[in-house]
Amino acid sequence: MPNSRRMAVLPLALSLLVPRAAVAQDPRLERRLDSATFRAVSAVIDSADRLGLPVEAMVQRALEGTAKHASSAQIVAAVRRLGQDLGAARDALGAASSQAEIVAAASALRGGVRVTDLTRLRQRRTQDLTVALATLADLVTTGVPPDSAAAAVIALAASARDDQIADFRRAVERDIALGAPPAAATAVRVDATLRQTAGITSKRP
Amino acid sequence: MFDRDEDVLQRVIDHLRQPVEMDPTLDAAVLARVSTRAGRFSWLGDAWEWLSRPRDIAVSPLAGFAAAAVAGLALWLGVRSPHVAAPVPGPSTVQFVVRAPGAGSVALVGDFNDWDGAATPMLAAHNGALWSVTIPLTPGRYRYAFLVNGSRWIVDPAAPRAQDDFDTPSSVVTVGG
Repeated sequence: MPNSRRMAVLPLALSLLVPRAAVAQDPRLERRLDSATFRAVSAVIDSADRLGLPVEAMVQRALEGTAKHASSAQIVAAVRRLGQDLGAARDALGAASSQAEIVAAASALRGGVRVTDLTRLRQRRTQDLTVALATLADLVTTGVPPDSAAAAVIALAASARDDQIADFRRAVERDIALGAPPAAATAVRVDATLRQTAGITSKRP
Repeated sequence: MFDRDEDVLQRVIDHLRQPVEMDPTLDAAVLARVSTRAGRFSWLGDAWEWLSRPRDIAVSPLAGFAAAAVAGLALWLGVRSPHVAAPVPGPSTVQFVVRAPGAGSVALVGDFNDWDGAATPMLAAHNGALWSVTIPLTPGRYRYAFLVNGSRWIVDPAAPRAQDDFDTPSSVVTVGG
């Protein structure tokens, strides 16, 4: 090995010999989880933290589980699943995404939205994506097929403001509650919102 | 009246026009203080000159490797650190309202208060039929539920449902940036 390459590799090798300080174990979890659950959840959260994921959401999920008297297996599974969703969401949106965006995107993924749709959404909208992603997740939870929900939010992403996207979501939910098929309600309301953003007024409410 | 005011004014003017007698040692005292300040600046100047003067430093190869390792480690940790996103906007106040007639207590419990049933009690109104509380929330998406009488969980009928991980549903609220 040439001397120059040895000199380049040496700092990296030495750095690997220095153990990184373990993430401080969260006292909230230690106080409220039993010891076995605490150890299992802490290990999952520690791994996520090393990947730079927003682990506070995972802490809260574990606390939610224990508040609702869920079993240890349920809590560990929920935290692990959330960690996987957060990782996939961060990869889809990019490392520069905010924690709120990643958490909202993880909810959308959990509902069945495709990773590629999150990436398209990021490409279409320059502003913060938290409300758009949360709307996407909420629509899917309400019963709108993931592909229809993604197509609608991506269509709105370029021109609609956050408050218009939130209004769109409320209108779709209201239509569904009144008996409209979810996909049809989404299509009708996205068209109305796009007309609104374009400044075209409709005669029908 | 007018003449008397003029007289007073004239006497004030005359008083102000009188020469002021200066302490003969004043000049010497001022010069002494200036000299002391100059000494301080001179000490700083010497220190700067010592720090900025080029000189030859002999370092062993081992010390050089150690310094490179420290720099490499710092760079590696910096690259791996989570990206710092744009500053988070300030909190918005959000009101939560639920109908729980006959309840003895209702608490708002969620991602914003560590799911602590004692952290955010709600206040009753309309003869105990409606319960409400207003809290500040920074932009984000939060899961929450209402805890009635410390044991019964109910969702917010006016909010979207969260995906359920624990066989006890929750609601979600999103606060925009």
